[in-house]
This record gives sequence, C-alpha cells and structure tokens, in this order.
Amino acid sequence: MALLVTLNGTQVRGRPGQTILELAQENGVDIPTLCHHADLSPLGACRVCVVEVEGSRTLVGSCHTPIADGMVIHTHSPKVLESRRVIVELLLASHSGVCYMCDKANMCELRKIAAELDVGLPRFQVRKHYYPLEDVSPYIARDLTKCIMCRRCVRACNEVAKHDVFAIAYRGFDSKIVVDFDQPIDKEVCRDCGVCIPFCPTGALSQPRETKTEKKGKPLVVTS
Amino acid sequence: MPEKRVVLKNCGVIDPQDIASYLAADGFKALEKALKLHLKQVIDEVKASELRGRGGAGFPCGLKWEFASKAQGNEKYVICNADEGEVGTFKDRYILENDPFSLIEGIAIAGYAIGAKKAYIYLRAEYHFLLDLLQNAIAQAKKKGFLGHLDIEVREGAGAYVCGEESALMDSIEGKRGEVRYRPPFPPTSGLWGKPTIINNVETLTNIPRIILNGAEWFGKMGTEKSKGTKVFSVSGDVAKPGVYELVLGSPLRELVEKLAKAEKVKTVQIGGATGRIIPYAMIDASLSFESVLGAGAITVFDESRDIIDIVGKTMEFLAEESCGKCTPCREGTEVMVETMERLGRGEGLKKDIKVLEELAETMMLCSMCGLGQAAPIPVVDSLEHFRGEYENRIRQS
Repeated sequence: MALLVTLNGTQVRGRPGQTILELAQENGVDIPTLCHHADLSPLGACRVCVVEVEGSRTLVGSCHTPIADGMVIHTHSPKVLESRRVIVELLLASHSGVCYMCDKANMCELRKIAAELDVGLPRFQVRKHYYPLEDVSPYIARDLTKCIMCRRCVRACNEVAKHDVFAIAYRGFDSKIVVDFDQPIDKEVCRDCGVCIPFCPTGALSQPRETKTEKKGKPLVVTS
Repeated sequence: MPEKRVVLKNCGVIDPQDIASYLAADGFKALEKALKLHLKQVIDEVKASELRGRGGAGFPCGLKWEFASKAQGNEKYVICNADEGEVGTFKDRYILENDPFSLIEGIAIAGYAIGAKKAYIYLRAEYHFLLDLLQNAIAQAKKKGFLGHLDIEVREGAGAYVCGEESALMDSIEGKRGEVRYRPPFPPTSGLWGKPTIINNVETLTNIPRIILNGAEWFGKMGTEKSKGTKVFSVSGDVAKPGVYELVLGSPLRELVEKLAKAEKVKTVQIGGATGRIIPYAMIDASLSFESVLGAGAITVFDESRDIIDIVGKTMEFLAEESCGKCTPCREGTEVMVETMERLGRGEGLKKDIKVLEELAETMMLCSMCGLGQAAPIPVVDSLEHFRGEYENRIRQS
C-alpha cells in the first residue's frame, strides 16, 4: 500500500512507516540534519530538520515524523528556512571557540550547515559553554566546550558499541553529556573502542593528540 | 455567574480520611453505575459531555479515552497527572487534600472504560505530605471492594516541572530521566512502556464521577459552547483573598479577580502560570474559557507597583531552569531570553533586543518539542504586545 504525499508541490509515493526525511532523501530533496544519523535511532533533539506540514500548528521534525496519506509537506518554505537559521544561530551562540583553531573544522557538520543556511555571526548574546578539556584517556579526548548536545555519542555507545558510558545530567542550558558522576572520561570506564568518535558532528570527541604527555605543567623546551 | 461547586462539592464536607463519609455523600455511586454499562457507553457519555482536559491543553477527554480504548494492546494504563507544577496552581492539591475519593472513583471509571488493569497517580515531589492520605484512601476503597478491576499505585516525582508534561511524566514513571518524547506516536496508542495510556489531570478525573452520575446533558448545561462544565481556579498574587475558587466556564475574569479575590489597582493578570498569558487590566472583562484564556487555572494578579520586565524576567528564569535540555530552541532559547531580560532589567537593553526577542520567540513556538518550549516565549510575546513601552524605556539611549 503506497501513500500519496505532496512534497514541495510534487506528488510522490511513500511506504507506510517511512519518515519524512527518508521520503525526501529518496526523492532528492536535501534536508539538513544534525542529531540524526542513519545508523542510530531517531531522537529529534536538534530541530534542524524541521519541515512544514500543512494543518500542523507547529513545524515537525522530519527525522522522526512518519508520513501519512495526503500529507502536504514543504521542506524549504520561508518559515522553515528562517527557523532553521535561528536554531543554528542558537547552537553557534553558545558553541565556543573559533573554527580556524579547531582540528575538526574541515569535517564539522555544524559549520557545514551554518554555511549552507547562510548563518554568519549569531545575533544572540548568551554565555558560552566552557568546560575543561578531558584528555586523561589514551583512547578518547573530550572537549565539551564544542558539544552541541546532539547525543549521537550517547546513542552510538548504547546502540552500536553496546556500552553505557555516557549519560545526560543537569537541566536546561546546563545539561551536558557526563561519564559516571560527571567525571572526566578515563581509561577505567571507556577503553579501546572509539566507536563514538566518528559519530560526533563537531570537534567535541576526537582521538587524543600525540603531544599529550608533554602538555601539562611542563614548559616547552626546544632542543636543537 | 456565582461560584458553583461541582468538582469541589465534597471539599470541606466529607472527611478525607474516612470512606464512610464519602459513601454517605453519594460516593462510588457513579462507579457502580458505570460498571453496569458497557464500556463504550461510558466513553460515549464522557464524549457527549464534551469535557476537555483541565491540565491546560484542553484536549477532549472522551476522544482520548476512545483512542486508547480502540488501540491494540494487552496492557493499558491510566495515569493521573498530579504533578501540579505550574507556577501559582494549587487547585489539585486542594482536591487531593479534601476529596481524594472522588479522584479514585474517576480513575476507577477511566480504567474500566479503556480496559486498564493498572493506574498510576504521579504525585508531585512537593506533595509528599499527601502520600499517606492518598494511600489510605486507596486502601479504604480497595477494602470496600471498589477497586477489583484496577490496581492504583502512587508514584512520586522528583521535583521537575517538565515532568508535568505527559511524555516526560511517562519517562519518569519508567524510571528514566524525565525528558520529553517526540510525537507521534501519541500516548493513547503508545505511552507508558509503549502501551496505550491515557493521562488525565486530577481535576479532569474528578469531573468524571459527576458526569457519569448526573449525565452528560446536565454537564452540558454549564459553560459556553466549546467549554462545558466548571473550572477550579487558584488565585494568588496581589489580592486580598487568595485561594481556590470554582466557577462555571465562561465567567468573566473581572468577577474572579475583583469580586471574589478582592484585588485592587490591578496592572496585569497572568493566566495559566509561567507559560500562561499576560493580559493587561484593559482586558479584564475577558471570559475564562478555552475559547479565550484559561490554561491550568492559575491566576496570578499583579498590582500597579509591579514591573513587567521584572515579572517576565523572573518567569523566564524559572522556565530556563526547568527546561529539560533536550531540544535546541528551548535549551538555548530560554537562556538567551533570560540574559536579554536581565540586560533590559538593568536598563542596558540594546536597540536590536526587541526584534531579536520576537524572532527567537517565533522559532521557539514553532520548533520546540513539547509544550514547555512552545509556550515559554508567551510571557515575552504577550508583554511585548501590551507593554511595549516598558521595554522601549529600558533600551540604552546612546
């Protein structure tokens, strides 16, 4: 049984149980996503993938909303684009650091979406999330300053690696991804896996750097 | 319209510790009547009464029951939302304190109607002192044989405002961090532990025995076209007589605020708590109904000595603190609003602030996952509409 859906003015066919995002991808319509990942369960947290469905009071997250027969969807209406821009601006407003100082700037999905949506410097003034760099573990380095709370690492650890290293703690603006009772991630709780690292859309999770052992408390001595 | 006691008819009349006094006041007659009917008849009666949810959203109660009744599933649940977290509401506490038996009877009827064997009362953490009273009432009803078809358990919350939201509430009962879920699926098809679930407010469920006993027609005679019945209001703030009042829906706000609660020199009234509407004194003749303004029944009155920027700023602080932090617009947006309101409060507003607030509010209302984020900008939007001058005064002139 095929479902008939109007996607940006064109009639297309979809299967029951398919999400709006899947339908759009099948039909060559590009909807930006951040917290969504094809290998992970949907979450709907970032709200970047919102689309307009006629008859709905609010915009709906396309990554988790199943299609229905007769649905009329607009993926790039002015309302949708403006909302997406504001959301990316919000993420950038508290996301710390400058991109050209970041190792992952080239592969950062947040930066890519910001560029696509024409978002420049955010209008919003809000305090930045600053957290100490966690580089104790030889397997993984965490910089929560760059975290955008997409929770891909939580789901990757849970669903792909079948571990439960990460959890969410605190509320609202202060919520963050924690390990144990908010301890820096070390080799005791998480070792030799690294599954979550490629899932991170920003530079929050990375392979530890080579220079790690020389960093703390020691002056840089140049020997020639 | 004068006060009319329908939901609160037993409050202060019966002894909440003793089921005998409730039985003397026609207690559990409605349940006996409902158990003799087919469950479809019970749902039809509730549907015919056009009872709408009293927790703020105003969803038709009968429709919700019908969805859950028709949903496939071997287990179904009834949840009573007693997580009365909205700022300035204390009507559910008043009902629980004075008439827990009516609520239990309502839950028992709901359980019969949708075919549930288990019901939960999600009690707010701050209402811990009511736990004994409730459990005593449940035990007495059980002893008298009224709960043969349904097991009622009281679950306590841990103090989060967002857990009054239905999906976060279910997460909390399941033992998880209280966070909203995306919808669809809606609770009547997939709720607690993925099973069909109905979630009703304390006041909604307390209305049920009255409707079953007296009939939908009797209920429909009260109220306006789209809002039937009565509503219990909790009035607080700058009033001489704060407290719980029950009025027929559609009554004017002025009657409640000025006549019953004896407020003077009113500047503004916040209706529905932190995420409620802020209306100026000029609109005090508005009617209290789902068509106009209502919310969960919290009426907070502010007199002329109060500052709007301060009121809105404090409200935003509360909402930012209570946001669960799952979706971006609510997590980041509330914090931006808090910091902007703080700046305005110091008289250091920027020229762009008003425009930025409006654009941010629009996105938050459109994109947030749950009612908290969607309704969080309402105080800002409403106050910008009615008290724009006070915002403009706070913008730095240089």
